[in-house]
Amino acid sequence: MSSRTSSRQSILEQIRTATGAVANHSVDTAEAYAALPRDYVRKGSMTREACLERMVERLREYDAEVAETAPNQLLDTISDQLKASGMRVFVAPEGLPGEWLVPGFDWKVDHNLPIAEIEAAQGVVTSAFCGIADSGTIALHHSQAEGRRVLSLLPDWHLCILKASQVVETLPEYFSRCAKPAALATYISGPSATADIEMTRIKGVHGPRFLHVILVRD
Amino acid sequence: MNPASPDRVVLDPRFAPPFPQAALPVLRNPQLRKNVAHAIDVIQAKRGKLVAEKTDWQALRAAASAIRSHALEDLGTYLEQFEERCTAAGGVVHWAADADEARVIILDLLRQENAKEVIKIKNMTSAEIQLNPFLEANGINVFETDLAEIILQLGDEEPSHIVVPALHVNRSQVREIFARRMGLEHLSDDPKELTNAARTYLRQKFLNIPTAIGGANSLIAETGSVAVVESEGNGRMCLTLPHTLITLAGIEKVIPRFRDLEVMLQVLARSATGERMNPYTSLWTGVTPGDGPQRFHVVLLDNGRSSILAKPKERQTLKCIRCAACMNACPVYRQTGGHAYGSVYPGPIGAILTPQLMKMEHAQSLPFASSLCGACYEVCPVKINIPEVLLELRAQVVNQERKLAGRIFDPMYMGLRVANFLFSNAGRFHLAQRLGRIGARLFTRKDGWMHSLPSVGGKWTQTRDLRGLPSQNFHEWWAARDKGAK
Amino acid sequence: MSLQTVTSMHASLFITCYNDTLFPETGRAVVRLLERLGVELEFNQRQTCCGQMHANTGFRFEAFAQAKRFIHLYKDAEAVVAPSSSCVAMMRDQYPGLIEELGNEDLRREFEALLPRVYELSEYLIDKLGIEDVGSYFPHRVAYHASCHGVRALHLGERPYKLLAKVGGLELVPIPSAERCCGFGGTFSVKNAEVSSAMLAAKLQDVVSTRAEYCTALDNSCLMHLGGAMHRQYIGMKTIHLAEILASTQADAERFPVEATR
Repeated sequence: MSSRTSSRQSILEQIRTATGAVANHSVDTAEAYAALPRDYVRKGSMTREACLERMVERLREYDAEVAETAPNQLLDTISDQLKASGMRVFVAPEGLPGEWLVPGFDWKVDHNLPIAEIEAAQGVVTSAFCGIADSGTIALHHSQAEGRRVLSLLPDWHLCILKASQVVETLPEYFSRCAKPAALATYISGPSATADIEMTRIKGVHGPRFLHVILVRD
Repeated sequence: MNPASPDRVVLDPRFAPPFPQAALPVLRNPQLRKNVAHAIDVIQAKRGKLVAEKTDWQALRAAASAIRSHALEDLGTYLEQFEERCTAAGGVVHWAADADEARVIILDLLRQENAKEVIKIKNMTSAEIQLNPFLEANGINVFETDLAEIILQLGDEEPSHIVVPALHVNRSQVREIFARRMGLEHLSDDPKELTNAARTYLRQKFLNIPTAIGGANSLIAETGSVAVVESEGNGRMCLTLPHTLITLAGIEKVIPRFRDLEVMLQVLARSATGERMNPYTSLWTGVTPGDGPQRFHVVLLDNGRSSILAKPKERQTLKCIRCAACMNACPVYRQTGGHAYGSVYPGPIGAILTPQLMKMEHAQSLPFASSLCGACYEVCPVKINIPEVLLELRAQVVNQERKLAGRIFDPMYMGLRVANFLFSNAGRFHLAQRLGRIGARLFTRKDGWMHSLPSVGGKWTQTRDLRGLPSQNFHEWWAARDKGAK
Repeated sequence: MSLQTVTSMHASLFITCYNDTLFPETGRAVVRLLERLGVELEFNQRQTCCGQMHANTGFRFEAFAQAKRFIHLYKDAEAVVAPSSSCVAMMRDQYPGLIEELGNEDLRREFEALLPRVYELSEYLIDKLGIEDVGSYFPHRVAYHASCHGVRALHLGERPYKLLAKVGGLELVPIPSAERCCGFGGTFSVKNAEVSSAMLAAKLQDVVSTRAEYCTALDNSCLMHLGGAMHRQYIGMKTIHLAEILASTQADAERFPVEATR
């Protein structure tokens, strides 16, 4: 252990010699940080409608299926999506609104489900924290309604319910919506994919092969 | 790795042949060159399109560059901050001065877990310290999980690119490797079928192997979080399912704040794979009860980085975010692919990073493996002026070598010394031009061209002719004209 | 149509070492062109080299010696014109570092005063003289090779294309992947001769695909590389510096065929 402690010391010393910096000068660091150039686009310029259209368009470019619905038709839309999937067994995060667990399906609610049961499920339904239209990205912060990370990973079919009010235009706008830095987050841009063989894009490797999104026009 | 075998690709700068020599087998391999050119043409075209649509691209580059430079300027502060916050969140931070120490730390951690098997996320830093062969030699089975890495591992191939490491292998070669190693005789060469084979091959491993090793795209000082970007979901598997996760990262990977990801993620995906965003980005902080690995270690690796940091011109090398845009844009890489660079870091960034990680004791041919065309700098999302660093390293190599006895009579060294002597005085220069004109006549054929020259000139005339020297230089013509006018 | 000319413009030619030795016709073309436009030229017989070859190969002390020499020779020039983008790029990109490392404050001041007056040929024509139509005539199919230093170091952008667009009788054909390096790279072409040749082969394919009669550029170094392979392979295309195209006039075309035969 002592040699490792000394590596920590010696590495930090070498770094400090190299940068000419001294310890505990966080004021200077903060000032220098604040002065960094940030002339990129932070706030989007699209109309609300165009922004939502962009979100849908980008999701579809990733081969994600998108259904748009009104709040009062959400349950029907969920039901339709689940039926259309041809699947029966779905997992749901602990905090998913109870009414979203529409009847007619075999729901497994995640009260710390064992991995094997999640793996055995055919699909998963989650909510989301934010949608980023510019890149068609869905940000999950893994709250109770978004579920543990493993829930949106093992089942092959993922239905994500995103409210229009959660959609922002640019990535910086998403960061503005984070009241504090996310401790746990997954940003999903389409179903899992690879282009490792001759740059041919293949949808679905290890993550869910099918991503469905319901955009709720709230 | 066996340095003695001539056919074997050697990605260890201590044993690899010099670049010009290592490039030869590739230049004569049509399959390899076609695979490489195809792959990078596809990525380049996608990148070009997405960069063009991004109206604030240059502003993003400027911000990304400034964030990385700033993090390096205060690296000590940010690393300590990262360590403190990561530890507070339940992670354990280890510091490794060199490759040896990092390997031993990781092996010790695996032994504490009684691990016989480990799953891995593609991680350039682990390739840098040659972790897999070390773990295998110590009785631990390593399973790479990135599709390209599986192809390489099962095919006993070496990586040739840092983002698409198997781009030199085509579909029929992948089919052959998978059929042989997975026992799937009837596999076709359809990429979809090959990808499915990999999914099936790994699924049980993800579910059953409780220990994973990964890397980091960013370490966030403000929160002690780690970010990993990927496409396939193998990363998420490794980051979520095991009980124990070990992250190996270079000390330069730290960024100041969570919010800096709004810049880094935008430039990385576009530069690396030509996507607006990569399919998956994972971010976690220490240990989260009930979600993901409950034991989390970070190994911070120096391995020569702090000495690069000490040099003002070379420091920018450490800004690199491993997007590979430089190699995709490089006309040299386009011809040679990655293996010729004799390092896990190929292409322009490899040409500057590898010799520096070797403290300029190996890989001295790499700084010269560039025509200085500047395409790498033009595309670099964090504005590393690679040509500038190449020139700096070339000067260091020359300063090392010019003292060596063997170099005194080296034609290149002699030629450049003589040239300097001549250029320093116009009279001498003009005399040399006249003598050269006489000498060149010996080699000039009736068509007025030189087809074959001795010594260094022979390197030129291997593939190109050189026009015979004109009978009157420009300055002679000017002097004659001046005289005529008077 | 009368030729646009200038008055009381003076320029000092930096012809560069390799143009002086290997391609004097380019220098003569620059003289013909600029004098036709009314520029009064001078040529300092003491000039030799900018130091690029040494700097790019790692011989920094030697490169600095040449840099110092260049600055001293030209410090009083009204303008310096060089028909070589890589030499001008050397001055802009590398002189500052060399001076910082090996020079002194006086030299730095002299250099900084001089640098804004150093022009690559197309910069001089368009930025300084403000002329795009130089009254030239060159009735041939021509491909323009955008050299790396011109594109990425000097950011010449549209300048050469603007000049070519005004050349009478000229048919400009684009080269695919026009901005990709030809593989010359100075001493790279002999230190990494095989890789350089592979890059050259790829470039040549693109250039030949244009079925042009001439391949032109603002750097004779690239043209020497391309032209050397064209000659070796009996490709039947010629290389010609842009200065020589711009210097050609209708009268020239009638009186004698193009001077440059490489």
